[in-house]
Amino acid sequence: MAAVDAPVATVAEADAPRPRRAWVRKLSLWVPAGLTAFVFLACFLGPVVLPIPAPVGGNVLESSLPSFSPGHLLGTDPNGNDILSRILHGGRASLFVAVTVNVIGLAIGGLLGALSAYIGGKVDTVIMRLLDVLIAFPSLVLTLAVAQSLGPSLTNTIFALAFFSIPAVARVARAATLSLRELPFMTAAELAGTPWWRMLLRHIVPNIAPQLITFSMLGMGTVIVIEGALSFLGLGIPAPNPSWGNMISEGQASLSATPDLVIWPSLALFITVLAFNLLGEALRTQWSGR
Amino acid sequence: MSGEPTARQTEEVLDLARPEAASRPSADGPLLEVRDLRVRFTRGGRVVNAVNGLSYTLGAGEMLAIIGESGSGKSVSTRALMGLLPPSAQVTGSARFEGTELIGMPEKQMRAWRGAKIAMVFQDPARSLNPTMRIGAQIVEAIRTHSDMSKKDAADRAVELLKLVRLPAAERRFYEYPHQLSGGMRQRVVIAIALASEPRLLIADEATTALDVTTQAQIMELLVELQQRLGTAVIMISHDLGLAASYAQKVVVMYAGRAVEYATAEKLFANVRMPYTRALLGAIPLLDRKTHELLPVIPGQPPDPAALPKGCAFRPRCDVATDRCLEPPALEEHEPGHWWACWHPAGGDGDTAGARTGGEADEVTVGSARQVKDGA
Amino acid sequence: MTVAVERRTRNVTAALLASPSLRLVGKRLLMAIPITLGVSILTFWVLNLVPGSAAQQLLGVEATEEQVRALEREMGLDRPAWIRYLDWLGGAVTGDLGKSFVSDQQVTSLLGERLVVTFELVILAMVGSLVLAIPVALLAAYRPNRLFDRLSMVVSVSGLSVANYVLALVLVLIFAVQLGWFPAIGYVPFTEDPVENLRTMALPAAAIAFPLFCFYTRFLRGDLVDQLLGQDYIITAQAKGVGPWRVLIRHAFRNSSFGLITVVGLNLSTLIGATVIIEQIFAIPGLGQLMVQAINTRDMLVVQACVIVFAVVTVVANLVTDLLYAVLDPRIRYGSS
Repeated sequence: MAAVDAPVATVAEADAPRPRRAWVRKLSLWVPAGLTAFVFLACFLGPVVLPIPAPVGGNVLESSLPSFSPGHLLGTDPNGNDILSRILHGGRASLFVAVTVNVIGLAIGGLLGALSAYIGGKVDTVIMRLLDVLIAFPSLVLTLAVAQSLGPSLTNTIFALAFFSIPAVARVARAATLSLRELPFMTAAELAGTPWWRMLLRHIVPNIAPQLITFSMLGMGTVIVIEGALSFLGLGIPAPNPSWGNMISEGQASLSATPDLVIWPSLALFITVLAFNLLGEALRTQWSGR
Repeated sequence: MSGEPTARQTEEVLDLARPEAASRPSADGPLLEVRDLRVRFTRGGRVVNAVNGLSYTLGAGEMLAIIGESGSGKSVSTRALMGLLPPSAQVTGSARFEGTELIGMPEKQMRAWRGAKIAMVFQDPARSLNPTMRIGAQIVEAIRTHSDMSKKDAADRAVELLKLVRLPAAERRFYEYPHQLSGGMRQRVVIAIALASEPRLLIADEATTALDVTTQAQIMELLVELQQRLGTAVIMISHDLGLAASYAQKVVVMYAGRAVEYATAEKLFANVRMPYTRALLGAIPLLDRKTHELLPVIPGQPPDPAALPKGCAFRPRCDVATDRCLEPPALEEHEPGHWWACWHPAGGDGDTAGARTGGEADEVTVGSARQVKDGA
Repeated sequence: MTVAVERRTRNVTAALLASPSLRLVGKRLLMAIPITLGVSILTFWVLNLVPGSAAQQLLGVEATEEQVRALEREMGLDRPAWIRYLDWLGGAVTGDLGKSFVSDQQVTSLLGERLVVTFELVILAMVGSLVLAIPVALLAAYRPNRLFDRLSMVVSVSGLSVANYVLALVLVLIFAVQLGWFPAIGYVPFTEDPVENLRTMALPAAAIAFPLFCFYTRFLRGDLVDQLLGQDYIITAQAKGVGPWRVLIRHAFRNSSFGLITVVGLNLSTLIGATVIIEQIFAIPGLGQLMVQAINTRDMLVVQACVIVFAVVTVVANLVTDLLYAVLDPRIRYGSS
């Protein structure tokens, strides 16, 4: 009834955004989902299924071939390594890092934030202060510091990125749990004598999960970008193993001569991050109503 | 008490004292003449008929009450008059204000009229005022939109307006923000804004619904006072028949986008005809009801404007409906000054609903009689 | 005339002092101190996860055990961590952040010369992003869902998915290599040549500003349209006969500006952190580049100082944002009476 009895005028003659038709909404979810799936499949299954040479140990005689050369769809780098292969393998590494970091962030950060909010009191304050300290750092700076300390490797990169992923998720989880606490059904469950672990698992987690997953999905893009930045600076995934970040960094040296070395990994990065962002957006609209 | 203006002071500044306008019928015909107003919304393939043929007349300085439930189209109809509907709305019919057709007026012209000729006061004063703008600034904006006054003159005028609506400590309030005022005070400010450019017609869209009963009475009294002093006509939109009974000269009862009963207040409450109106009256809780008695409510829900029932829209909920009602009754002046649209109106004088309704009619008549005495 | 002005100023100051906003700000200021302390502790801990290696790195792989041990003793790296921290803290409070292992220069003076450069970059990026975002969002919200709006939204969403270092290289490719309008790397101080300075800063600032621009545009446009569609004071303004641009700017945007301030504040750490990689790409001698260099040369004290400065600046910037918000938003400034 309210929609009819309370019409609203827009500023100019343009129409207000109509409630999206069902198929538009479906499209905005399934297209990025499909794109994401494609990226994963390409990076993890591609090298297995397609006849692509190894990402390292290339033939120097075949170095710096341009794109669309025979046998090398995207050309080769100065070391003779096939670019397409490096992109797919680099994608493997980057995606693996991103997914792992997000899972860790969700698990540890989510639990930490939810527990902190649920327990409340001094514990909550202390944890909040700790989170504040962690969040005070610009993400790249802290991650760099950790990565530098430990040295470049895959596991160290994951560890370093977790440093900023966990507090970010914890904060969201805490806020979500806090607002959840106010709801009557929580009080009812507590009064019924539900033990704390059951409260957490059966009541809190299922209700904050959509928000956390959406946040996580939107954060995937950031994680990939920052991992790329780490690798770009030589502190992430170590050469000669490919990562989109270190490929871009290597390509920078010959940017004017062979821009393709930068363009292909950049494109791969862009498409992947875009897919994750759109997917996260679609999930958010889906799960929060309009 | 420094905020209380003397009548003379206000009149001097505003130069609007036209007490005679309230009782003088307009020489060139009614102020507002609405004929067969229809509003249709088309959204994503769905057609919603919000207003299905509404007609009434309003004279200068009169107060008309439009009564109806949510979804009856009462708000939509008045917004159509001011051109405040989204482009998905199609408005047909006629609404002549001082002779000029409002429906289809180009936006630029309409904007010049909004606030200047016709003004609107909305339901929730907490949300109607911009929370980040000082009250004085919001009134000054209303003034300067339609005049070339200097900022200083407009500010002075704004303070006078605040005094006119009886806002205490007007000069101080000028610099304050909406959240620093109470609900009743905010509504006064909203009325002051509406009156800034001296409109001939003020539309009060559920203006008192969000207020407590005491404040409600105060605001209504204020509206009546302003109506009489400034000669402004008022359209009062409400779901509260009691308010209509106490203050309005004319009443239009709307149901499902149509006027189903239309008469002067005294005629309406003396002889309620339309079963819907009767049911509305009957549903008003009264002090003299027996305790622990079920309140009579109208069974069912108001119809979905996108799927109106065949024939008379009230038929599914009416207790005197017959097959005849499958044919929509037209709004006709069955008695002089009293229009209704029903095949089975409550008959005669001293109507059939029983002693209680008769008692209410007496009360209500007293109210309208008071109104008539005060001169309108 | 002056009496009235004076009285008004006094009233405003009194309102401010009694206001909840000042108490809020005071509380945040107090909290900032332990946070800063925590930041320094955390930094120290993180950077010293593997302490001995600093000396090892300096001497190189061929160094013998004794040489490493001797250097450690000399640098004081053999003492337990908490003693080293307190030592460092003591120095820091008095303004002595130690000396660079590499250049033997006082860390504080190193920071000093770099800070100005990074500051300029940050300001340029922030101002640039806002100066573009606000008009674009206003124009988009003026005619929602028309061409300009849809176009700007597509650009914003895509722009948010571009990594700033990728964008930096693309900008270099187009504007430096192909068009030659701006230099690819290098820096000229403002005092030396303002025009050249701006030319060298243009691409780096653009690389940082663009993702922010996308974010702000999206946010602002969404907030404006939300207001236009849902808020009663918008219809009230229209019912007054106020024109569409005025409604948009004087009413909708005024309310949006508070949300915008918050969002800008939230993104400050991203903005500041971005300088690290952007300065590296464009060879801008700022704090970020210093940090990366120090990392590569294992110049521990410099890295430490840089990290802490970055964090402290973020904390301070957030504080300033809160202060701004508290002072400007009348709902907070005046509370309810």
